[in-house]
Amino acid sequence: MMPKPTACAAAPAARRGTPEPKILLDTMIAIRSFVPSLLVLALSGSGLAAETPEATALAVLASQAGVHEKARACQQLGVVGGPASIPALAALLDQEHLADYARSGLEGIKDPAAEAALLKALPKLEGLYLAGVVNSLGVRRDPAAVPDLQKLALDPKRGVASEAVASLGMIGSVEAAKTINMVLTTGPAELRVPAAHAALAAAARLAKAGDPAAARVLLDAVVRTVTTGALPAVAKHQMAALPAK
Amino acid sequence: MKSTRRNFLKTTALAIGMPTIIPASALGKNGAVAPSNRIVMGGIGIGPRGREDLGAFLKQPDVQFVAIADVQEERREIVRWMANKQCGNEDCAKTRDMFEVLGRPDIDAVLIATGDHWHALGIILASKAGKDIYCEKPCSMTIRESQELADAVNRYGRVFQAGTQRRNVDNFRFAAELARSGKLGKIHTVHASILHLEESHEWLPAEAEPAIEVVDWDRWLGPAPWRPYNKNYVQGRWRGYYDFHGGAALPEWGAHTVDICQWAANADDTTPVEFEAEGETIHARYANGVKMVMRLAGFNGEGKWVVPGTCPVRFEGDSGWVEAADSGKVAVSSPTLLAGGAPAEMAGTDPSKHVRNFLDCVKSRAKPAANADVTRRGHIVSHAASIGWRLGRKVNFDPATETFINDAEANRMCSRARRSPWHA
Repeated sequence: MMPKPTACAAAPAARRGTPEPKILLDTMIAIRSFVPSLLVLALSGSGLAAETPEATALAVLASQAGVHEKARACQQLGVVGGPASIPALAALLDQEHLADYARSGLEGIKDPAAEAALLKALPKLEGLYLAGVVNSLGVRRDPAAVPDLQKLALDPKRGVASEAVASLGMIGSVEAAKTINMVLTTGPAELRVPAAHAALAAAARLAKAGDPAAARVLLDAVVRTVTTGALPAVAKHQMAALPAK
Repeated sequence: MKSTRRNFLKTTALAIGMPTIIPASALGKNGAVAPSNRIVMGGIGIGPRGREDLGAFLKQPDVQFVAIADVQEERREIVRWMANKQCGNEDCAKTRDMFEVLGRPDIDAVLIATGDHWHALGIILASKAGKDIYCEKPCSMTIRESQELADAVNRYGRVFQAGTQRRNVDNFRFAAELARSGKLGKIHTVHASILHLEESHEWLPAEAEPAIEVVDWDRWLGPAPWRPYNKNYVQGRWRGYYDFHGGAALPEWGAHTVDICQWAANADDTTPVEFEAEGETIHARYANGVKMVMRLAGFNGEGKWVVPGTCPVRFEGDSGWVEAADSGKVAVSSPTLLAGGAPAEMAGTDPSKHVRNFLDCVKSRAKPAANADVTRRGHIVSHAASIGWRLGRKVNFDPATETFINDAEANRMCSRARRSPWHA
């Protein structure tokens, strides 16, 4: 589905952002620049080598540094972070302005513990924060996320059903396809188009993974359930490209 | 009866009681293009460069530009004025919500010329909405986005043209075809000019946000991570910032020059297998041994290029070489290579032929010169090279899987999280 912000959208940035008084900015930056170094020293007994890029970034997250410094630390952890970084990043998943940066860190950490942290956050989050984590689970494509995404796809009260369906489409496993099919055939009308887009994505994954039969089932469901617009034709075209039965 | 746009117009006219005497211009006589043969277009995010593209589109007799979506009121109004002036009416709609443009069933194609961080997602959303797409370059921020945009365009059967217009500029075409024809002998090295590599993580000082109707900062950011508003970003000075300018600025020119090198090296369906930076020069090698050298050129002609102008490229073979740049000129190792005549001089920044190529393909459903597949790989090469530069070491790349080989650190640089709720 087109990710048009709807009811779950947070307040506009104009109301979310609180610009720091300019007169203090340079002073604050100067002070902050010392904080990570001090904290790196403090972390020397934590099991992380004190001067690794990961330890430095974690020290920033543990400090009183501002949003800018912490945002950059999250991005760095997306490249250099490991399991030790996961708790600090997960703690930011509901933090204004930092939640998306935290996801950039967690999306980059391939360790299963990062997936677990994202899944663990699901019941606690709402709105944009929840939608963001759902999107990250799709990007990571870990089949372990499928059961939770299935629940969200079938629970309109959480407000992220279309995001959950889209993430199932990105994962594109056989189990994910079953839920997409269910939403397509028995779900609410407003989810039909997002589910159709997810079905097209999942079918491509399934075909690439050597399961054209499962792909065909999904594409057939699109043709049967979506009766207007170009999606049925797209599904038929995709079906025609599958290996013969 | 088969449903066509022509039939739709006919039945609609009857239904709403339009006069049955149809003006000759509407039938395509007197040099006008019949409505059924017109391509109805909308725009998404059109600033200074986008207006150059738009100007080229508006000159085409078969284009009807009917709507602009832009998060900046000033830009919306300029584009609306341009379109209405060309069409002689007041019909161009303006909105800050691109979904209003994408949701209009009468619009066939969109011109996307937002900031770079919006390009790939814009292409994906437009593909899902069933629109054909002309999108300014660079079209992606990462390797992953390069893949996603091509997958979406192909999955939804859209016609896509990247704004890498040098594929349709005469001297660049001439140079690439000289290389591909074998007249230079076996090609061993292709040279792509690039700009200085830069990657700032700074934030400009926070400023009070304008009213949402004047600048919709949240929508301007779109999939990019949040940062406080500063007018410089929305006035075009977002380049050089990591969050808005992918690939450490290498794709800024690389989208053109690396792409043309790929074409000249007959490598549109692959990528180099290794990248190694030496200062701001990046050496790449294809599996067949051909080398690509990405090296500086600038607006002042530095870098020992022969042909004047921005975006120079050079192709070297066993028996000759050719060079082309934005001046429209070529230089060759031997006059015999120009025996068939030198190419017409045309500015490398002129999008007119590229735009025409796109429109012709919208009608024929053929693939344009800078289609999604060549854009995918050309952009991946630029991004992979920039990752090698960022890491400061040699990286090995698998063209089949489009991943770095045994290099987790490099592979973690291939994508970025999108700000919620944006997703592909």
